[in-house]
Amino acid sequence: MSGLVVDASKCTACRACELACSFTHEGVFAPWLSRIRVVRLVDRGVNVPIVCVHCARPACVDACPTGAAHIDRESAVVRINEDECTGCGECVKACPFGAVELSAEKGTAFVCDLCGGEPACVANCIHGALTLGRVEMVAQRKRRATAEAFALADQGG
Amino acid sequence: MRDLAKQRILKVDLTSNSTSVEEVPHAELVEFLGGRGIAAKLLYELVNPGIDPLGPENALIFSPGTLSGTSAPSSGRTSVTCKGPATGLYLKVSGGGHLGPELKYAGYDYLVIQGAASRPVYLWIDDDQVSIRDAGHLWGKTIREADRLIKAEVGDQDIETALIGQAGESQVLFANIMLSVYNSASRGGVGAVMGSKGLKAIAVRGRGGLTVAHPETFYQSTVQLRKALAEDPSSQGLYQLGTVGGVLREQEEGALTSGNFSRMGLDGVERIDGQHLVDAGYLTGRESCFGCSTACHRFVRSFSSAYGDVQAVGPELETAMALGANCTIADTEVLIKANELCNDYGMDTISAGHVISWAMECYERGLLNQERCDGLELRFGNGAAQLELIRRIAFREGPLGDLLANGTKRAAEEVGGDSWKWAMQVKGLEQAVTDTRIAKGYALSFAINPRGPDHLMTELIAELGYSEQAREVVEKITGSKEYADPSMIEKRAELVRWHEDCYAATDALGFCAFTSTSAYAITPANMAELMGHALGFELSEEQLMMAGRRVVTLERCFNAREGARRKDDTLPWRALHEPVPSGAKKGMITDQASLDTMLDEYYSLHGWDPETAIPKRETLVALGLAELCSDMPVE
Repeated sequence: MSGLVVDASKCTACRACELACSFTHEGVFAPWLSRIRVVRLVDRGVNVPIVCVHCARPACVDACPTGAAHIDRESAVVRINEDECTGCGECVKACPFGAVELSAEKGTAFVCDLCGGEPACVANCIHGALTLGRVEMVAQRKRRATAEAFALADQGG
Repeated sequence: MRDLAKQRILKVDLTSNSTSVEEVPHAELVEFLGGRGIAAKLLYELVNPGIDPLGPENALIFSPGTLSGTSAPSSGRTSVTCKGPATGLYLKVSGGGHLGPELKYAGYDYLVIQGAASRPVYLWIDDDQVSIRDAGHLWGKTIREADRLIKAEVGDQDIETALIGQAGESQVLFANIMLSVYNSASRGGVGAVMGSKGLKAIAVRGRGGLTVAHPETFYQSTVQLRKALAEDPSSQGLYQLGTVGGVLREQEEGALTSGNFSRMGLDGVERIDGQHLVDAGYLTGRESCFGCSTACHRFVRSFSSAYGDVQAVGPELETAMALGANCTIADTEVLIKANELCNDYGMDTISAGHVISWAMECYERGLLNQERCDGLELRFGNGAAQLELIRRIAFREGPLGDLLANGTKRAAEEVGGDSWKWAMQVKGLEQAVTDTRIAKGYALSFAINPRGPDHLMTELIAELGYSEQAREVVEKITGSKEYADPSMIEKRAELVRWHEDCYAATDALGFCAFTSTSAYAITPANMAELMGHALGFELSEEQLMMAGRRVVTLERCFNAREGARRKDDTLPWRALHEPVPSGAKKGMITDQASLDTMLDEYYSLHGWDPETAIPKRETLVALGLAELCSDMPVE
């Protein structure tokens, strides 16, 4: 399955993704319950959406004592089973990106589930900061962008 | 989670150091739409006529929109309402950023500040924990410095703040309040009111959320509207170039004023246009307010030997026109620096630009000599003098800084001579840059604006007929696209009244004017539908617009109670008496006779007495305001 590809340079911090996410998963408008959060570095005018990258070897899964955090075999997506989650917070501490959170409402952990393949955040991202793609395509695109930049520099432009 | 329809008011009394929470009766929410509407009602009830706007009796009310914090696109704006110190009349301003939704998530729809602290304080709202904290160490700091210090103090970089700078502290009569550091709630001196209360900042953390009555239909409508807005050509223009992308168009159409409205056009003005900011590499980022995908706000960076490395926001169109063209300064570096200074000190760039351009004209005409200017050579075009003057005004430093900090009306009274004739102000507020000699509808809308002459209670850009959507709006209101013609007097009253009603509803729900009155993707029908889904009952477009009118009328009543009459609904002397001096629009004027014709129609359309401009008793009865406004003067 494809994953979320974040291009922070296009993010304007409108936070439509946060609202779409919290509504789609919880039925409410609450950025604190969104699986994706936009971090605004206000001094620099830089906005970076932070969301689970669905690691192949997820630290959150390793840290989970009950097996609630797991990799879904079919989709290779990191999931947290609410019924098995005790709310101990070990996954939150283990995640190197801050992409796992605890719900103050339910007392359980939550993480991006890619909305089963059609993420609500992507559908609401007007300026293309969030897209759906395969990680190998990202590398390919970056190689091409690097080559273009190299060509430009080589031509003295 | 909180039901969006159960609105709560957080009242803070800084004199008694106490806080309390009240609920808004549901019927009132329907009648006034919340946000700006309920704020107008609260102000009417809490602030007695005749009080000093800079005294503890004034109330300062922050009100995000009823839909702020939801997925409704571009709905995260916050109104700030009080009795204005520049005009002594009703004052509503609006700011973007992320503060309003954060306040809603903390559990409050309204924040009402009353009284005054005996020493500097800041308010820390951490969900239901509200504390009034010492701000002695923050007093004297710029907006950005104080924001950093507060975030470090509470140990959270993600909180939202509303701040005043040094201009608010020294009660400059056009000091503003900055929301989320970079989004100004400007005009009329709201920052001075906050400063007079000894309140340096409001810091908010909200970890709650909002629910609506019909979640799925509400959400799906908002998703569609976000897409519609993204496809709107005006929105796309705002994303590409920002509001400042309109500078060159003004010049090309012969509508760009310079030299304090004494001249038309300015050589080199393309250097302060939005396209140049992009082409010359100043633009470093496009920024949104909460929930808005238009992203008209800009981050810019400039390097120069004179000012070094400047990282700032903006400039907006009005800023480029007021601090740039009107001071006859077409210099990118000066404009970015001047805008940065105003933002850091917390000052309205429109009034700052106008008070400086007024002083420059006084200097050139010999009414202010170099001695009175504390050594500044205050000629048009002197960017260095402008930057120095901005600083002096913010601190009320020296006789000139102190004089200009009171705005052009009071400064002209001090300087005397004919200087009042080129003070581009009405009611004590400096006018926005649209030339009312060229656009008749704007002329009427500026004259009747309860807070003073600007576009931000109506935004009548539709009358210019720039786009097909704009012409369709004019047709909807007047019956014909032919009236999308700013040289016409006919139908201006209808256009203005519709825009007032629409703008009031737009503010009340938290939408940006760039959704409904200068882009048109979100119509009053859309707003009524969303409000209905949010609250759980049918609301028609007519009911929504009538609620808007109720708010507009109540605001008029506030001013009538303070003694404002028809004579106050006017335009600056220069705009009424000096025709456009040159260029494509040469000779155009909106004189007193034209204005009077439009005013007569406007008052009669509203059901206000044309002699006094006070709403008639039967009008108040029809709008359900008779009881609330039982103290209306009868003349």
